[in-house]
Amino acid sequence: MKLNRSLFSSSEFIVFLALLAVGAFFAFTSPVFLTKFNLLNILLQSSIQGIIAIGMTFVILTAGIDLSVGSVVALASVLMALMLHAGVPVWAVILINLVFGVAVGVFHGFSITKIGMAPFIVTLATMAMARGLTMVFSDGKTIFDFPPAFEFFGAGQVGPISVAVIIFLLYALVAEVVLRSTVLGRNIYAVGSNLKAAALSGIRTHWVLYFVYVVSGISCAIAALVLTGRLGAAMPTAAMGYELDAIAAVIIGGASLMGGKGTIIGTIIGVLLIGVINNGMNLLNVPPFWQSFLKGAVIFLAVMIDSLKNRPNEA
Amino acid sequence: MNPDPVLETLNLTKVFPGVIALDDVSLSLRPGEVLGLVGENGAGKSTLMKLIGGVYPPTRGSIRYRGEAVQFRSPKDALDAGISIVYQELNLISHLSVAENIFINRLPRRRGFVDWARLYREAERILAESGMAGIDPRAIVAELPIGVKQSVEIAKALSYDAQVLLFDEPTSSLTGPEIENLFAVIRRLQERGMGIIYVSHHLDEIFEITDRVHILRDGRTVVEMPTAEASEELVVSRMVGRDIQDIYYKGAHEPGEVVLTTRGLSDSVLQNVDFSVRSAEVVGIYGLLGSGRTELLKAIVGARRLRSGEVLLRGRSVRFQHPQDAARAGVIYSSEDRKGENLFFGQPIWKNETYIALQIGRFATLGFTRVAEERRAAAEYSEKLGVKAPSLDTDVDHLSGGNQQKVCLAKALINDPDVILLDEPTRGIDVGAKLEIYKLIAQLADQGKAVVFVSSELPEVIGCADRVYTMAGGRITAELTGDAINEENVLKYCLQTTPSGGTAT
Ligand SMILES: Nc1ncnc2c1ncn2[C@@H]1O[C@H](COP(=O)(O)OP(=O)(O)OP(=O)(O)O)[C@@H](O)[C@H]1O
Ligand SMILES: [Mg+2]
Repeated sequence: MKLNRSLFSSSEFIVFLALLAVGAFFAFTSPVFLTKFNLLNILLQSSIQGIIAIGMTFVILTAGIDLSVGSVVALASVLMALMLHAGVPVWAVILINLVFGVAVGVFHGFSITKIGMAPFIVTLATMAMARGLTMVFSDGKTIFDFPPAFEFFGAGQVGPISVAVIIFLLYALVAEVVLRSTVLGRNIYAVGSNLKAAALSGIRTHWVLYFVYVVSGISCAIAALVLTGRLGAAMPTAAMGYELDAIAAVIIGGASLMGGKGTIIGTIIGVLLIGVINNGMNLLNVPPFWQSFLKGAVIFLAVMIDSLKNRPNEA
Repeated sequence: MNPDPVLETLNLTKVFPGVIALDDVSLSLRPGEVLGLVGENGAGKSTLMKLIGGVYPPTRGSIRYRGEAVQFRSPKDALDAGISIVYQELNLISHLSVAENIFINRLPRRRGFVDWARLYREAERILAESGMAGIDPRAIVAELPIGVKQSVEIAKALSYDAQVLLFDEPTSSLTGPEIENLFAVIRRLQERGMGIIYVSHHLDEIFEITDRVHILRDGRTVVEMPTAEASEELVVSRMVGRDIQDIYYKGAHEPGEVVLTTRGLSDSVLQNVDFSVRSAEVVGIYGLLGSGRTELLKAIVGARRLRSGEVLLRGRSVRFQHPQDAARAGVIYSSEDRKGENLFFGQPIWKNETYIALQIGRFATLGFTRVAEERRAAAEYSEKLGVKAPSLDTDVDHLSGGNQQKVCLAKALINDPDVILLDEPTRGIDVGAKLEIYKLIAQLADQGKAVVFVSSELPEVIGCADRVYTMAGGRITAELTGDAINEENVLKYCLQTTPSGGTAT
């Protein structure tokens, strides 16, 4: 009984209801929506956003933010494309790509913990720098033509399921286990909930902060791998605005920008909600400008319901 | 003869999921009167304050203010009506200055812009009127020790032109001079006809400042009487529901060899501190606000950057770089500031209690938590410390202040440390539960542990410590043992700013 109460009043559950409601709406208004093909497509579309949002969840749990994700994905994509064209073997490209993700995270962690810069500012700067470098390296042009072994990660299938979806779900599982069942996961919540108490409780808060930004960097690297493979191209303008979708998904999923609150499950539901809305509006031929507006409105509603529920006066 | 009450509660009841926090409480407050409100931890005192202050609506019952029924929908409503409250937990915005906090939501403006000069001038005036001229209105709150924060909170409440003032344990982090000062202000306001409710676990304060005392137990009114007709024994027995004698307790230990020593410890506050504690010993540290007592404990565990000096554990130099190093070596510090530095709000009791333990490799295998074991230990220590809560899964936010304090102690003791540094361990804890904590401290020493505790309560230091250090201005001013541990000595040395090198026996 106790479990039920906490389950049904949790933020995740409310967002899940919203997901069902929106899904039901599109199921009634579009004949295509509920087909297996379309549902798998939504999952595929959501996998890249989902991978990025998982990294973002770690960061937001510590009361931080990572605005650089979209640009870092684009930069990683272009770097991989250039390496492939230079004849670097696929396995080495993937490895170097992951190292690049780690490096971005270490840079953020260093700036935040050692220099004491605000996460918002540091990652805003990286956002601009990474996008700039993307343009410089690619000369503003799209790069095509990669070995099939490379494209497998974005475009491959295992039976009816895309490799991209499998990567997303496995990554989510690992993230969930880390947050739920490890000391490190517990420490991430602690750092976001009360930084001073965390340090006095013996938590090495700097390490924790390094870790979450590295996770975000790695998430971008993985997302870039999947995205580039799927498109079969590295576009310097790729992943524009992904940071906002990722942040929105995390917040819709019940996390707080103040830190200490949020789950991977919630984030995934948030990502799916955004994915379903994008997909449904396309099916219904909503004009793109209205799509942007409506998506914003739904995000607003979802977060508003949660905030109203958590107002101390309603206790 | 009696003027009409300015504030009345009628059959006020508040039910939280699983708890009846307040049950049918009626009381009235007349202008110019100080009403004391006492009761055990979780008796419902803070809940009553919050209902009056519009923090949450009552489940049943009503509130009458200046003769009319009122329903405040938010703290702002209550404040606008003239009810100003000092809540038990601090609510200051830590990255703002003292002045901004005092005038939050009503910063003085000129042509649409904040008039900074006037803001600081007004803040200075209010601080001076509240007898806190020593506080810099430009200081950033985050950097202030908790006692000063509490003073700022009081100044803020006083700065409103209120008819009714509610104080919920306003002195829990204050020391003698600030308390005297607060009482002077209260007496002045009383003469001006203000109605005041005063909540405290310090019965001496209740007897000094209140006219009537209202006793709560388990959310219900036990009795209300004029303070002059009450005695401390009577109040305690009605509060707790049984008699309590002899609340201080020294145990049966004989101090052994020296376990922890500091030599010439200096940092931005501390000046050349030499300190030591033996196994099977309880050491008390007494000092006023700003004396450096908290800083000393933090410096020992590596939570402050030292300028010079060293820490020796069983004769070996350790110089911990981080509280985790100290915890691994069996030295645990528990902060006095439960909301700011100790607890994780939004998390359940059991997780709060095992945080330090997880860092030193307990309850975990290869980095994975062993939840069942954690919960078992948390249950054991919650029981030992008498944490009153619906369940182990209750978020610490929903506990009464005293019960939060017990969770803080459980969090430290669960590690079975050899050296335990407690900063105001009984802050906000009721008289009955204090006795249990004193017993526990004595038992720890009986088991051979080295216990150090900082306290602002003189009787507690005198009653529980085998040896006492007094501190002032970042220095140790005296070390007292045996019969030299008495009120006169302690007070004398804690006001002394130049070191006398005084040791007295
Ligand atoms: N927001 C809340 N949600 C659930 N239970 C609560 C909440 N606030 C208080 N309680 C419960 O109500 C009871 C009364 O709490 P209250 O804070 O009023 O006690 P108190 O008399 O102020 O105690 P203390 O001396 O420890 O401060 C306690 O059992 C507490 O756990
Ligand atoms: Mg209280």
